[in-house]
Amino acid sequence: LQMNSPASHLGSGLGGDTPSHHHGLGGPSSILGGGPSSMLNSHLSGPGSVMGMGLMSNQGPGSVLGPGSILGPSSILGPSSINMGGSHLMANIAAGLLLSQQGPSSLYVGSATDRGPASNMNLNINPGSVMNMGGGPGSVFQDHNPGSVGPSNLAVPMTPLAGDVLERYAHGTQALSHSAIPTTAMSAAPASVLDIPSPTLQNIVSTVNLGVQLDLKKIALHARNAEYNPKRFAAVIMRIREPRTTALIFSSGKMVCTGAKSEEASRLAARKYARIVQKLGFAAKFTEFKVQNMVGSCDVRFPIQLEGLCITHGQFSTYEPELFPGLIYRMVKPRVVLLIFVSGKVVITGAKFKKEIDDAFSQIYPILKGFKK
Amino acid sequence: LSGSGMSLSCPNHPGAHLVEDHRAGDVICPECGLVVGDRLVDVGTEWRSFSNERSGTDPSRVGAPENPLLGSSDLSTSIAVGFGSSEGDQSLANAQRKSMNNLDRQMTQAMSVIREMSERIHLAKSIQDQAARTFRDVLDTKVLKGKNSEAQAAACLYIACRKEGVPRTFKEICAVSRVSKKDIGKCFKLILKSLETNLEQITSADFMSRFCGNLDLPNMIQAAATRIAKKAVELDLVAGRSPISIAAAAIYMASQASATKKSAREIGEIAGAAEVTVKQTYRLLYPKAAQLFPEDFRFDTPIDQLPLS
Repeated sequence: LQMNSPASHLGSGLGGDTPSHHHGLGGPSSILGGGPSSMLNSHLSGPGSVMGMGLMSNQGPGSVLGPGSILGPSSILGPSSINMGGSHLMANIAAGLLLSQQGPSSLYVGSATDRGPASNMNLNINPGSVMNMGGGPGSVFQDHNPGSVGPSNLAVPMTPLAGDVLERYAHGTQALSHSAIPTTAMSAAPASVLDIPSPTLQNIVSTVNLGVQLDLKKIALHARNAEYNPKRFAAVIMRIREPRTTALIFSSGKMVCTGAKSEEASRLAARKYARIVQKLGFAAKFTEFKVQNMVGSCDVRFPIQLEGLCITHGQFSTYEPELFPGLIYRMVKPRVVLLIFVSGKVVITGAKFKKEIDDAFSQIYPILKGFKK
Repeated sequence: LSGSGMSLSCPNHPGAHLVEDHRAGDVICPECGLVVGDRLVDVGTEWRSFSNERSGTDPSRVGAPENPLLGSSDLSTSIAVGFGSSEGDQSLANAQRKSMNNLDRQMTQAMSVIREMSERIHLAKSIQDQAARTFRDVLDTKVLKGKNSEAQAAACLYIACRKEGVPRTFKEICAVSRVSKKDIGKCFKLILKSLETNLEQITSADFMSRFCGNLDLPNMIQAAATRIAKKAVELDLVAGRSPISIAAAAIYMASQASATKKSAREIGEIAGAAEVTVKQTYRLLYPKAAQLFPEDFRFDTPIDQLPLS
């Protein structure tokens, strides 16, 4: 099995380390017996608990085993993965905890103090190996974080967390043989069966502080493509063609840039606007650039029964055909809102990072498959 | 029946069963005649009414029954200002209104709004009570603090109708209220979130009887339209359409196939759907018209002569 080979390879590399470090996760039965919160407490201690706390605060009415909010990586493996044995579930929850952190850099935050830098890269292997199952045969290690994963990194000594996770991952998938038909099919011919589409970004809203008071009238008079109607709105609305974006520039020096299709494009556009303001004679700086909202859309390519989805996921869904034709799904774990339509089109919004959009879609996809018409 | 008699007992005859004298308001020991308790409050009726007196109101009880959940929990008196009220009555009412607790004032105001709206669409008292109860719960949680109180009351009424199994469309509630559909929708979503209730989804069948009744269509057409709508949803011909539009299109199809033909505009007006929406949805139903109609339907206009849009 393609899936097992990297994991077991790592597992064998761990052989010497794991026995002494089992305290981290304990036995599967003890953790599940304790319930989700105790798992988190025993699992993450010290600075690493930033993830645990984050997770707990995000737990909505559903439990850890509730509808798709936490089982990030496991959900990719298909519906059977939810019925996995306890150890595998633990492993995936652990991986999911780390996975759902925002962006690669934050993974280093919690683990830097108690684990070596190598472990961070190893932890990234999990997302790589799981998230890219849909990518095709050769893509097991084609991670989103190019610098962190590679065959050379696999030999680096593992820390308890990573080691246990991957070992259980390896055990878990082997234990799954009876229900592993989707997973074996997946690993046997990933390209044809795993055709999960990936969301495309449609809009990025970002803010930047130019750091200096601006005279909006002067900007409106001298800049091209600027409109300023103080009676209607107290900001100059400026547009540039490349990247096609719109900016709201306020007299305090703060600016909102909308319409870009990627984070880089948004940053570039904001820089262009700052340059325009600078050329008009203001001492504009480029400080506190922050992406505030990202909107992505995707098509699952099959019609969806919104009624059924609303009934089973009632705590997250709102479906009022009189008010809005789509189902509004408020996901808890990446805190995003998904608009799901009967045609199979899904809009994901409220994310601050592309990873959140991808995570959200990967969580919702198996749920939607269950409600295919 | 005063409860105080139960705790009393005659000092001389502790086991004696005490007798109540209603006229004097005493509890007397039958053995020795000692008056054990006095000044009992009589909770009988305040007036006696005789059969030969025909009056509109029955004065045997003075005042309305207590409304503990909805109204104020204390035993306060409220001044009612009616048609022939004098200056004194008005000033009394004003004084009382000023001194009333904010929460209770909002509650009574909302109750009057709900009652007014319900009267216009002839809703049952149980729905009004349900709506008032919902409003009370929402008032206690304070989630709708800033919202227009009329919008809150309208949203509570919508929820009550739906809970009782007789949903009214947002547009129908809008018609008897002063707020826009958007405001009612916003309040509705907030209330659902705060009360964490899940309402049943609306179906076209819920509205059939009301729409057909308003259009004066006979029962046969109503039954046919209900079946058309149900079959259309089963066959998934009307994928993303609102149940109201589906109901309107089904009624259009059924009425066009019968003797009493109604135009799309009339049906749209009654249902609260746009004429073009009715026609669009009808166009989705038209290809499978033969499968949608019930078997025993008597066609005045055969299926192949139904209008194309």
